[in-house]
Amino acid sequence: MIKHHPKFQLIQGFVNGELPASLSAGIAIHADLCSECRQQISLLTEQLSYASFEEVTVDKYSVSDSGKQDNVNPLYFEQAIAAITKSNDIDIIEPKIEKNIIFKNHVYSLPFVLHNMVLGKTANIGKLARARIQLDENEIHSSLLHIEPGGSVPEHTHNGFELTVLIAGQFSDKEGEYVPGDFIMLDKKHPHHPVSEKGCLCFTVANDSLHFTQGISKILNPIGAFIY
Amino acid sequence: MHIASICLPNDPINATSIRMPNKINHTELCEWLTAVATHRDKQAFTHLFQFFSPKIQRIAKIKVNTDARASEVVQETMGNVWRKAHLFDGNKGAVTTWVYTIMRNVTFDMLRKVKSNREDTLSDDIWSLAESQNIQEDDFTDHLANNNLRSVIDDLPENQQQVIKAYYFMEMSQDQLAVHLNLPLGTIKSRLRLALGKLKAQLGESHD
Repeated sequence: MIKHHPKFQLIQGFVNGELPASLSAGIAIHADLCSECRQQISLLTEQLSYASFEEVTVDKYSVSDSGKQDNVNPLYFEQAIAAITKSNDIDIIEPKIEKNIIFKNHVYSLPFVLHNMVLGKTANIGKLARARIQLDENEIHSSLLHIEPGGSVPEHTHNGFELTVLIAGQFSDKEGEYVPGDFIMLDKKHPHHPVSEKGCLCFTVANDSLHFTQGISKILNPIGAFIY
Repeated sequence: MHIASICLPNDPINATSIRMPNKINHTELCEWLTAVATHRDKQAFTHLFQFFSPKIQRIAKIKVNTDARASEVVQETMGNVWRKAHLFDGNKGAVTTWVYTIMRNVTFDMLRKVKSNREDTLSDDIWSLAESQNIQEDDFTDHLANNNLRSVIDDLPENQQQVIKAYYFMEMSQDQLAVHLNLPLGTIKSRLRLALGKLKAQLGESHD
């Protein structure tokens, strides 16, 4: 059972469209597997839309609102409407088709939200494999991280944040075991050492390199950059 | 608190003693959109355009900064309304919610183009999952969660309900509420605090 959910503020930011694509995708992957958060998202969407289009709310943004609204150039309306309605074409929604992704002979169904994102080449270090998701969000890096059975990420912490959403398989750390859909947001206060006995595929988002906390950190430095 | 089901055909605000100017006529919006979907009715579309475009223009201006880009959001959003009207299902939510999601998606893709210089349109993928209007297929827990939430509001004392509905649904400020209800600001604040405390227990705190 999913135990780790996005915080309320994150869900709010998601519904508002204010989060970067990477974090939005993380919430979408989680919500696809979590009916509780799906419910909360649709509830918040209704509330926000209601508030957005209420005259009272809208008035807050513009003092001279009522006057302005009456004075909208009718020609502008006519032209704008004509531009839209000159074609009677309608949008056809294509049915969703499953897409798979393979890491070291393990086949996974790719979450729908990632279908149209561009994946970089897979890089491997030991039992870890990573494919960068090319979203071009500056310091925010998104990846698919695959851990083969028995693999682990050395104990580390983060200078920024690290989001992990488990897509398939399992892993565990000192907090316990995680299941697909778990949404794990960590910062530098939370050193952790995920181990995957049976292997797993994760969606990860980080905004800074990882910082290893144990003795052989110098040797592991390249892995810190690798995972970020 | 399933707004969609209670605002059609009657606006929930009618149920309270608060009277607001220019209330949204959800039934009318729904009729217009249905006419666009079934008859490609340009007159109905004109009504929708007149209702939504000034609002979208102002909301978008805050997010995209310039009037020119805000106008683009209006044109793109209303274009989607015209082309996707047949996909709207009045049983699953209000027209305002539907248009809001389109506006949100259009704005998201535009900001991504501005900030990351990417021409991708990811918004439909990001939000189709979470909101795929699958509310009918909700499992048992969903109904429980929803009913809980509704009953939390319904269980509030009448005076708290009144405040929370105006505050949540209409985003009235505490000052506005005090004027409308003709009560001291302190009373509004304490009612709101009590009511929000109970709501938060349902909405927020179960999430770590």
